[in-house]
Amino acid sequence: MSRLSPMERTLAMVLAGGLGERLYPLTKVKAKPAVSFGAIYRIIDFTLSNCLHSGIRRLFVLTQHKSLPLDRHLRLGWSNLFRAELGEFLESVPPQQRLVREWYRGTADAVFQNIDLLSHERPQFVLILSGDHVYRMDYRAMLDFHLTKGAEVTIACTTVPRSQASRFGVMEVDRNDRLIGFEEKPSNPKPLPDDPDHSLISMGIYLFNTETLVRAVIKDAKRRDSSHDFGKDVLPDLVRNKARLFAFNIRRELPPLFHYWQDIGTLDSYYQAHMELLRPDPPLPLHHDEWTIRTYLPPLPPAVLQGRVQIRHSLLAPGCLVEEGAIVENSVLGYGVQVGAGATVTGCVLLPRVRIGARAKLLRTIVDEEVTIPEGETIGFDLAMERRRFVVSEGGVVVVPTGVAFQPSSVS
Amino acid sequence: MAKARILVVEDEEMQRQLYCEELAAAGYEAIGVGNALEAEEFLSRERVDVVVLDLNLPGVSGLELLPRIHELHPGLPVIIHTAYGSYRDEFISWLADVFLVKSPDAGNLVEAVEELLNRQREVASSP
Repeated sequence: MSRLSPMERTLAMVLAGGLGERLYPLTKVKAKPAVSFGAIYRIIDFTLSNCLHSGIRRLFVLTQHKSLPLDRHLRLGWSNLFRAELGEFLESVPPQQRLVREWYRGTADAVFQNIDLLSHERPQFVLILSGDHVYRMDYRAMLDFHLTKGAEVTIACTTVPRSQASRFGVMEVDRNDRLIGFEEKPSNPKPLPDDPDHSLISMGIYLFNTETLVRAVIKDAKRRDSSHDFGKDVLPDLVRNKARLFAFNIRRELPPLFHYWQDIGTLDSYYQAHMELLRPDPPLPLHHDEWTIRTYLPPLPPAVLQGRVQIRHSLLAPGCLVEEGAIVENSVLGYGVQVGAGATVTGCVLLPRVRIGARAKLLRTIVDEEVTIPEGETIGFDLAMERRRFVVSEGGVVVVPTGVAFQPSSVS
Repeated sequence: MAKARILVVEDEEMQRQLYCEELAAAGYEAIGVGNALEAEEFLSRERVDVVVLDLNLPGVSGLELLPRIHELHPGLPVIIHTAYGSYRDEFISWLADVFLVKSPDAGNLVEAVEELLNRQREVASSP
């Protein structure tokens, strides 16, 4: 019997290889986990901070498309926190195509294609995580639950009103939390046994006994009719074959600090998650000593407010410069953002190093990194006009992408 | 019924001959190849019912060939046939249907082939 603690016998695989199409154009040049979030973070920082706080010291981040900005962030901000001398690592792994001469065909295939990493590391447990979720979570509590239940697989889950559950993988459990059914995006979601108005949904976070994981992804790899996805294929098959799968309900098992969870799937959910940060009592409190979110920031000067400016209900990162007469309301300003004299920014998410020209007016707009908005430009007021030049989300949020060129004629 | 075709991938010529003869005596059509490249080339143009795969091969190893077999013919039954039980620790070896440690004669190999083919028939005939 190993003298290592169960957490020391756990390895995390962070899936960071999706195309992020629904978050386009923020994913135009970078993978979704590398997209900026909350003024100073990258989306993947939340998952990695959870690993750090939970004591997971062996991590593979499985990357794929547009991975350079993500690799750079991991190298600058994260890899140096792990000591190779102690057997610790955080490694970014692009597809090796050793086993299959194709890109990852699904989440389960990403694990299958990297099965040799597990042979080499021989963890007892493997935690499968997603690099594009925003949440705090104590994986130690999940592992304790896994051991207490004698589970082969534990799935982290949360509850949502039944009316919203059709977008997710919905789990049916017995009174002992054991899974008896799993349906991906069902039209008629099953309710909780003791609450007919809510459903239990999978957060896409799975803790596997290594042997169960290996057998499951190998079996799946042999199936022609599989989409090689944990939610669609692997978990339903395990449930059908009476494997011991259990649901770890974060709302019941963890204190309120850990109840927030957001899959940043769409531009609207990205925007909404930012607006929630501005509430007086935000559901995801960034100011919290107990479970800080780490990131990497380049060296930056303090934020400067020059002269008389108006700033309300906003987040300002280091390196911001707001000039005389500017108005910033209900907005998130990433690091190094400059707002020119007399400009107005309302309900906006400005990503790092954006420059807003003097007297420009922006409403409900996301501006991607390093974009310069010309002096006097107006964005977000006439959505019909904006649709002709930018992506506008279903919820009416305008997104100004990296690399955009403004027509001189559009300057008023 | 046509004879089941067994591809034997084995670099030791004497052993390859022995296994092919024993399998032929048991009523199978056995084809022997001496390395992974020959095996891949054969499988890219011919169909077989079972592959018997040695792992210690010159050049491309049996464990490297194994996923290629599944890419060419998903679900094709494979028997790993090796002198080294420690290869079980390589998770990719679990991709094979049977892991068989070599014995001095070919008796257990013929049995394993029979069992595997019977299992395949049962799966095929089940509703």
